Amino acid sequence: MALHSYRIAREPYYRPAGDEIALFEAAHADRLPVMLKGPTGCGKTRFVEHMAWRLGRPLVTVACNEDLTASDLVGRYLLEAEGTVWQDGPLTLAVRHGAICYLDEIVEARADTTVVIHPLTDDRRALPLDKRNELLTAHPDFQLVVAYNPGYQSVAKDLKESTKQRFAALEFGYPAAPVEAGIVAHEAGIDPAMARRVVAVAERSRNLRGRGLEEGASTRMLIHAGRLIARGVAPEAACRMAIVLPLTDDPDLRDALAAAVGACF
Amino acid sequence: MDGVGGDIALADVERRLRAYGAALWGSDPPLRPLVGEGDPAAQRPRFDADLVRLPVVWPSLDLYRAALAHVGAHRMFSRPWPAKGLKPLLTIVVSLVEDARVEHLAMRRLPGLRRLWAPFHRVEPSPSLMAADLLERLARALFDPGFRDGNAWVDKGQRLFFERPERWDDSGFSLRLGGDLAGDLGKTRVQVNARGHRVDPVYRDDNGGLWLYDTPPEPPRDADDPLEAVRPEPVEEEGHRRNAPSQTPPAPAPLAVAETAALRPVARYPEWDHRIGLHRPDFVQVIEAVPEHGPPLLAPADPRLVQRVRALVHHAVVARPERLRRQREGDALDLDACVAASAARRQGHAPDTRVYRRVRRRGRDLSVLLLLDASHSTNDPAGDGTVLDLERRSADLLAGPLAAAGDRFALAAFRSDGREAVHWLPVKRFAEPYDAAARGRLAGLDGRWSTRMGAAIRHAGAALSAQPTLRRLLLLVTDGEPSDIDCPDPRHLVEDARKAVRELAGRGIDVVCVALGGDPHTHHRIFGRRNVLPVDRVERLPDILPAVYVRLTG
Repeated sequence: MALHSYRIAREPYYRPAGDEIALFEAAHADRLPVMLKGPTGCGKTRFVEHMAWRLGRPLVTVACNEDLTASDLVGRYLLEAEGTVWQDGPLTLAVRHGAICYLDEIVEARADTTVVIHPLTDDRRALPLDKRNELLTAHPDFQLVVAYNPGYQSVAKDLKESTKQRFAALEFGYPAAPVEAGIVAHEAGIDPAMARRVVAVAERSRNLRGRGLEEGASTRMLIHAGRLIARGVAPEAACRMAIVLPLTDDPDLRDALAAAVGACF
Repeated sequence: MDGVGGDIALADVERRLRAYGAALWGSDPPLRPLVGEGDPAAQRPRFDADLVRLPVVWPSLDLYRAALAHVGAHRMFSRPWPAKGLKPLLTIVVSLVEDARVEHLAMRRLPGLRRLWAPFHRVEPSPSLMAADLLERLARALFDPGFRDGNAWVDKGQRLFFERPERWDDSGFSLRLGGDLAGDLGKTRVQVNARGHRVDPVYRDDNGGLWLYDTPPEPPRDADDPLEAVRPEPVEEEGHRRNAPSQTPPAPAPLAVAETAALRPVARYPEWDHRIGLHRPDFVQVIEAVPEHGPPLLAPADPRLVQRVRALVHHAVVARPERLRRQREGDALDLDACVAASAARRQGHAPDTRVYRRVRRRGRDLSVLLLLDASHSTNDPAGDGTVLDLERRSADLLAGPLAAAGDRFALAAFRSDGREAVHWLPVKRFAEPYDAAARGRLAGLDGRWSTRMGAAIRHAGAALSAQPTLRRLLLLVTDGEPSDIDCPDPRHLVEDARKAVRELAGRGIDVVCVALGGDPHTHHRIFGRRNVLPVDRVERLPDILPAVYVRLTG
């Protein structure tokens, strides 16, 4: 089985914030392409892993970057002793054998790269491999999922309209405080009362969004802080290390945030 | 207790404090200095719906923080009560209970605030029956459940306050308990000097923000009168000074310009009339006025900042590599070309020898026009100069590295004096180098007249349209909103500017506004929420503009 190593053996922890699981299941039943939007570290990737596990599908993940070419996704010929041999790229692998293909941070990929997914995302459900002269029809289990963070201000970094309009979308945000505290307590292994304090720190930093900070602390950052606390680090020091210092280099904001952290414990 | 001759100046820590207040409470009211009062030790913070006033100098940063956290708790949990007909003693005691109530609510959410506030509660139990002493001890007793005073009145207040903490959520609790305690105090022979009353501890505000007065209270007889705090301030000078170019036409009007610069009408543009939903054709005339050379920019920018901007721009340019394939020479084998060559050889064809690839710095396919607002309001002081000085300095800071890195950019400013005279002040056109002459023109910019934004945006669009690049960006730096002397309807120019932005978007030109002030809603309306970058402190513009540029274009 080509995709065996892409199967997810153990349930990835995911705490739903709304009806996203039901919506995704419905989209998956019809193999609709899905776009996940949301700020960094709010659980998009974890959600896809959880859904792949729940639906029993292998998951092929590609982290996009601006050097990613269409060949990197689709595949290429390699030179071997006896001649050339075709090597499927991750997207082709998922299309051929039936997996969920997850393109993370899709806006980072170049526009000409994202165009290769177009024939897969309409009723053709096919991937033309022009170098091989092959029109690969998608496996019935194949589904495409992409994720991006719409918070980028760069005018250069936005999806083309022709790409956007092929997807159904789910919006992710930071979960409500009690839910987020539950997540932090579970993932970091700290007691719920302490997790609530860490989430209070996150609220302080998110209050500064647009007032000097690009983004507030992500759930992922909170889990990092929680893990440090679980290792015996004092809460204020843990938040300074995992949240305040990574977030900003502006001395005024750093000072304000550190003082606000002090107010939370 | 609070030493005079303090060490920390509000101006030095204002930005930090605002960020701290915003982080704690999610709202960010402007901080203003308390002015015109005698003894600094007697000064107490004040707040109302829009502003927080703090002493100009205070002994410590923690005191400022404690005051801001306390005021924030009021703004979060207190709703002002009508003061009509209430005795001063009652308002004093109710305010004191309310102070304690909101602090306990705040500490429920943010327990660390206790450590911030506790050091200021320093009063010790004493037999004194002076009203001021009793009140300060009650303040401590209500803050600290472990405090034991011994005075029957203080102890009663403390017991009733902590008896039912679940009642703290109801602000009526402060009225009832405060009323009860004020009644008790009234029955004793304790003399309360309501006029001379000073709130203690020092970080707490003077409680003016807690009470609504129907009519302004009578003029205070002495400066320490707590009621003085609630007197509505007739003129909020800082708030109204900005963006009022149309109300304050500058004295030395057009003549001076005619002497100093060559004026040349260059274009007419339509203007959008939102009431009729149509363009008024050829409504606005744009006049090109090449700025006279000014003395070279005085203070050379901070060399560390220059270095940083250069690195930023340089990095943005070199960090965008492009892979060139099928090259005759290069750093690495192009695998695809190798395979093709190998396959060709096996088939008996002559192989293509271009089998290398290399990485090249990609030239950015981008033109940028940096457009500065040079209206009268940019003469407002900011930092150690004016807003225009800062615009100039940041433009100069950005332009040097851009020219060195080879980005296509132009630099211009605009202002308007009615629809027949929208002045366009070119500093550097796309084809020109950024040289001493351009820097001289930049230095020669001065701020006058108004802000007819739509015409300027259209003219900038015309300049950008002529650029052959794929991406074209108009970066507009303004400190205010559209206005002009012949436009009484403030919406008209806003809608026109919004239309102009959309026209440019239709031609593939992105318009981004760096807002140094003005109403954010207006800016969002004109440029779209995503395309407005507010700069919280004008002084930081030279710091921020290059970063904004790199982020937008990177």
